[in-house]
Amino acid sequence: MSLDPVQVMSGQVKELKVAPSSNGDNRASWEEKEEFDQDHLGLTTKPKPPKPENAVTVAVSSRVMFRTEREQKVFEQKGVEEYLRYQIEHENEPFAPGPAFPFVKALETVNARLRELYPQSEELFDIVLVTYNHAHVGIRLINTINHHNLFIERFCMTGGSSPIGYLKAWHTNLYLSADADKVREALAEGIAAATMFMPEKLTEVSESQLRVAFDGDAVLFSDESERIFKAHGLDKFFEHERDNEDTLLDHGPLKGFLEALGKLQKKFYAKGQRLDCPIRTYLVTARSAASSGIRALKTLRAWGLEIDEALFLAGAPKGPMLEKIRPHIYFDDQMFHVEGAAEMGTVAAHVPYGIAQKHNPKQKSSVGK
Amino acid sequence: MVSTIQNTDVKQKDAARAAVVAVTSRAVFDCGVGGGDDVCGVGVAFPLLQALQRVNERLLEENPAESLLFDVVLITTSSQQQQQSSRISSSTRHYGLEVSRFCFSSEEDFIESLLTNGVQLFLTTDRNEATQASQSGVLSALLDQQIASCPPEQLRVMFCGDAIVQPDTGPTPASRQVAQSFSTQLGEMRQRFGVFNSPLSIVLVTSRGGRESCSGALQKLRSRGVSVDEAYCLAGAPQGPIVSLLRPHFLLSEGFRNLEE
Repeated sequence: MSLDPVQVMSGQVKELKVAPSSNGDNRASWEEKEEFDQDHLGLTTKPKPPKPENAVTVAVSSRVMFRTEREQKVFEQKGVEEYLRYQIEHENEPFAPGPAFPFVKALETVNARLRELYPQSEELFDIVLVTYNHAHVGIRLINTINHHNLFIERFCMTGGSSPIGYLKAWHTNLYLSADADKVREALAEGIAAATMFMPEKLTEVSESQLRVAFDGDAVLFSDESERIFKAHGLDKFFEHERDNEDTLLDHGPLKGFLEALGKLQKKFYAKGQRLDCPIRTYLVTARSAASSGIRALKTLRAWGLEIDEALFLAGAPKGPMLEKIRPHIYFDDQMFHVEGAAEMGTVAAHVPYGIAQKHNPKQKSSVGK
Repeated sequence: MVSTIQNTDVKQKDAARAAVVAVTSRAVFDCGVGGGDDVCGVGVAFPLLQALQRVNERLLEENPAESLLFDVVLITTSSQQQQQSSRISSSTRHYGLEVSRFCFSSEEDFIESLLTNGVQLFLTTDRNEATQASQSGVLSALLDQQIASCPPEQLRVMFCGDAIVQPDTGPTPASRQVAQSFSTQLGEMRQRFGVFNSPLSIVLVTSRGGRESCSGALQKLRSRGVSVDEAYCLAGAPQGPIVSLLRPHFLLSEGFRNLEE
């Protein structure tokens, strides 16, 4: 809305933002005054969001950012009109944090560190709230963001239509949603995406270091090896991996996101902060170090991707290992592992990609927004 | 000289209650170089007219006695178009468009025409015409060429929540008033339909400000009885890609001049 002179002079800190003008010629003189005041008064203002093409854009759905189970129930049991009425009635009650919340907070921590080192750079995380929700819910969502002090300035409330086009327009690097169908749609369009679930208990995670863990096959890499394993068994799998040790694996849907994390990590290394880097990445794979793991490592190296820790479990359960690592998010293509991780309090996200999906009847296709 | 002609094929609307929308004939028809009574080709705003018509149809389905309807006027804004008046009326009838009146005016008197006909929203593909109308206190919106591919089944109206203010053409109390009353009417029309399957969709975009801007715009619209269906807060991100996905038929910027695209 237009800022009238009264607002500018009352010094409401929140309203004094640096507004990038799309058309410099048309700026009224009071708009220029706004920026002038900001510089000279040294007020702490919110930093300007980066341009989507420069940033690592993470699109998060409102249902994984916050806990909306109660509202979901209203929607499912009483229909959309009642659901919207309920939301408006409870507009001033902020939602509680959802499974993606700690991850988003960690992204903001990394941003703060990046801004310290590179104040002019736009190579930052940009978090966009993307929801199928009707804009009626918008005010409650904004109130919630304010309550939790999150730095989210961009959102899309599509009122029911598919957000996929908007994900592409925002140059989205990662999309997190509660709905497997929407995630599959995004993956089909080449956007890294995963379905998140709320674990019953949540282990504490670091507030100073973002930790992201990835499964190997069908997440970072393609599902080609998994296909062999499923079709011909473990022995054939080992044989195939050994014979193809020097052939690179094809890339999987989350490779790009790991790459984006790597680029940001290098910015810290360049300033001598390798040991203190606020981003740490993990590979947690059922492959074994001595045999099938070699191909995975060679592939990563050939891609120029550094991963901080590679954990080869040789088929052992992933839960306990993840519980030690305490990642903010763990990506796996198999619901079995996602559930196993969740049982031990790790926030795991399912990547519905590849051959494993045909063997997993457990996927929920949830209704509503 | 202005001539205003009623279209006898169409039932006239209740002047006190209807939302009068004037669209330039140049936007609706592509009359080319034909002559006589040749039917004109369709222009970029043809689907827009169909969408307005669709809203009326659905409103009457809900309530056959509904008086809050769109009252569509076709207006000519140049002497050249004025001379095509018979082709314009015959084309309107040919396509069965729900146009209640024709205003055959020229570049000199079309503003007068808008004012005497109680036009609440003027839609044109010509930037100068939109500016002139705005400056005379008539709410105007510039139609983009892209609207030719907008869906005719749903009228999509986009509100720009943080339009750029121009010091010389800032909002007069009168123009703010017309903007508010038109948006209130839109809001009322929207209320006649449910959440899904509505023939009218209201979209809010705030392009420069962050979430506070968007929240403020949502609340301001709500206070006028306008429930927004979709909201996009860009916080400085490029508008083009998002707006082209949104496919609005026209943009309203709170009584100010239209935002540059």
